[in-house]
Amino acid sequence: MSKKGLDEMQLQRKNKVGNQSFLILMYLLMLDAGLYGFGFRWVSYPANIMIILNICSAVYVVRLIKGNAYVGPSYEKEKPILRVVINSVVAILFATAIILFLKNTRFNNVNQIDSMAAPILFITSITAIIIVTLTGIIRKIQNKDDKE
Amino acid sequence: MGKNLKLKSARAAKDMSQKDIADAVGVTRQTINAIESGDYNPTINLCIAICKVLDKTLNDIFWEDDRNE
Repeated sequence: MSKKGLDEMQLQRKNKVGNQSFLILMYLLMLDAGLYGFGFRWVSYPANIMIILNICSAVYVVRLIKGNAYVGPSYEKEKPILRVVINSVVAILFATAIILFLKNTRFNNVNQIDSMAAPILFITSITAIIIVTLTGIIRKIQNKDDKE
Repeated sequence: MGKNLKLKSARAAKDMSQKDIADAVGVTRQTINAIESGDYNPTINLCIAICKVLDKTLNDIFWEDDRNE
């Protein structure tokens, strides 16, 4: 079976949903670019891109969960309560830190929000890449220990 | 694709639930359900794994002829 723990039907569904979400993302971005070309800006950059990305990500995750393609059969057996609790605590702490940071950063005008948006996006994406890399390394080490 | 009644009857003959087979072959219960209801066409590897669990051949479970579709 797959290293990710998904079975073959789940992988097939995941690929299908992923392809469709990517096409939706491309369509929405092109629509946004087209509207911008006609002089219509519904939300200023980079919020428009963030909103479109969030919508597509949300659609992707919701469809994965609805199609039972998010958690594989091996995870169902494990019932990793401790892992879920740790992840939840870390997520709550991270969210609280972001909220506190945004609350303490006093924006005097709208332009300042725009200037802060790019660094926030950059830091968030860098953090995400670091987390994904670390998780991948840890998983690889664990797999070696288990001799899979 | 029609329902796979042969799989369902072979499973019943072994007194196994969908969950039992799913655990034995390493897939989710929903996958076994989808195969039985004809919503999913499994790979040959999964077919072989199911046949081994049920002590049947591929012909017994997955072969469709004109009379028995």
